[in-house]
Amino acid sequence: MAFFEAHDIAISFGGIKAVDGITFDVEPGQIFTIIGPNGAGKTTIFNLISRIYNPTAGRIMFDGRDITAVPANRIARLGIARTFQNIELFDNANVLDNIMVGRHIHIGTNMLAEMLRLPGVARKEMAARRKAEEIVEFLRLQPYRDARVGSLPYGVRKMVEMGRALAAEPKLLLLDEPSSGLNVEETDEIAAWIRDIRNVLGITVLMVEHDMRLVSAVSDRVMAVHYGRLLALGTPAEVQRDPAVVSAYLGT
Amino acid sequence: MKTSYRDDIRLFPTRGVMLAYGLLALGALLLPFAAGDYLLSQITFVCINGMVALGLMLLIGFTGQISLGHAAFFAIGAYTGAILQTRGVPFIPAFLAAGLVTGAIGILIGLPALRMRGIYLAMATLAFAFIVEEVIVRWGSVTRGNRGMLVPDPVVFGYKMGSGHGIYYLSLIAFALVTLLIVNILRSRTGRALVAIRDSDVAAECLGINLALFKTAAFAISAAVTGLAGTLYAHKIAYISPEQFSITLSVEFLTMVIIGGLGSLHGAVFGSIFIVMLPQLIVMLKPLLPHKVAELPVLDSVTFGIIIILFVMFEPRGLNGYWVRLKAYCSLFPFYPRGMFRRGKIASADLVKH
Repeated sequence: MAFFEAHDIAISFGGIKAVDGITFDVEPGQIFTIIGPNGAGKTTIFNLISRIYNPTAGRIMFDGRDITAVPANRIARLGIARTFQNIELFDNANVLDNIMVGRHIHIGTNMLAEMLRLPGVARKEMAARRKAEEIVEFLRLQPYRDARVGSLPYGVRKMVEMGRALAAEPKLLLLDEPSSGLNVEETDEIAAWIRDIRNVLGITVLMVEHDMRLVSAVSDRVMAVHYGRLLALGTPAEVQRDPAVVSAYLGT
Repeated sequence: MKTSYRDDIRLFPTRGVMLAYGLLALGALLLPFAAGDYLLSQITFVCINGMVALGLMLLIGFTGQISLGHAAFFAIGAYTGAILQTRGVPFIPAFLAAGLVTGAIGILIGLPALRMRGIYLAMATLAFAFIVEEVIVRWGSVTRGNRGMLVPDPVVFGYKMGSGHGIYYLSLIAFALVTLLIVNILRSRTGRALVAIRDSDVAAECLGINLALFKTAAFAISAAVTGLAGTLYAHKIAYISPEQFSITLSVEFLTMVIIGGLGSLHGAVFGSIFIVMLPQLIVMLKPLLPHKVAELPVLDSVTFGIIIILFVMFEPRGLNGYWVRLKAYCSLFPFYPRGMFRRGKIASADLVKH
């Protein structure tokens, strides 16, 4: 059985089929990219996997279990973390606290113990803190560590969001347009980080991306979607050559 | 100098801060020997209001959930404590029971809050406040309705505490303990989860935060703390009746957290000091106003309203904004960049730490 598998998933919003029967699977250690024109349903696929939306049909399997009906707040615990297309950070908290929220599922303290600050609480806080600092270091975020996230430049906030997702120690990382809003140099940097996340941390990456340079540079497999349907699936080169993909992008 | 993560998560970041709080605590403990009855009474009200402000700050300022119904929790706490003590229950169990009852009702109010936000939640909590006020009026056999209730002096370990020094110390201790509990919540996993929900609930959920659990918990804790304050209030004024817990009181509570500065515990305390001082300020200013204005029965409410509007327009960070700037000024003096202390400019990192 595949590490991650979406089987014939579909969702419609008031008669519009945003995702219309898509099947694909991701092997462990892969960097798998979903491409497609605007409105093709790429982010909707992510929202189905994150369980923000309920699919109207189909099945989603991850790591040997059916997650189609798992509540959204259990998904991180199972090992899936994500970033968002337009950045969803906690703007009024600092970088470190944002990354600490990423550790939420790994800090097993209860509210009563926290109120009384029992000895176990401080110990678990310290352990989480150490992990969070490792991520700050790994992503070279030290200069911004104590800065309020809302005050930081866009590129840095993208990195913080990635760091927050990594803090959850996922097995599968969903990146929704990691290069959007970034300039060429920043995009090249992101490509290097994505490779590091897979090669150094061993995390499988599922990504939605528009920038074909970034897609070709990092992806093992690419899936093209259009109007909620699968258009092509294969290596980056194969998909880019596919006549259906070419016509979808160029509109012939 | 911080040299380890442990230094970074300490309750008091430096010796100086610890010393400052120690002196403040010592001053508060010795106050009854120095201050007159009037001042002591005012500070008692600051402690009681301060508890409400901290509870409401947790809910509004840190979790981003509005409530216009906190006067109801305050009333339920006041009546629960008073009714139990007229039936012979000693102060401490009655006080804790008031917290538990209001906390439980807070959970019930928190449940619809899971599906509502913003103005709808404000309306729902407002409706709750009206219902509670009405129940207190109608349930005469227990609450004595509009005739009101005399509240007995609190009995702690067999000792009768009067309404002066006794209540002052009880309020001070309760206020200090509540502050500690809330600070502890905010600097741990739960506190970060609440802030996460406030700033982006979808991201919070995707990181494994159970929105229902934490929103309900925020309501419950906020309500419980407000209920505890209600019992102390009942003792302090020794007589309670439904009209003391009207919508105006809910607005006063809201004023405390907004004027204090949303998202700051210091702000909550500043807000409660402000709200206790405001009626005195109004009395002092009255002679300066034209006779017709000064005699308006709604002068207090109008003043609250105007002050909220002014703060929202000119200093959204509230009194805490001034405090943060004053601290920055003192630590940087005389080497601060020009224009740094203009309105609205603060070294942003300072705002995050409470």
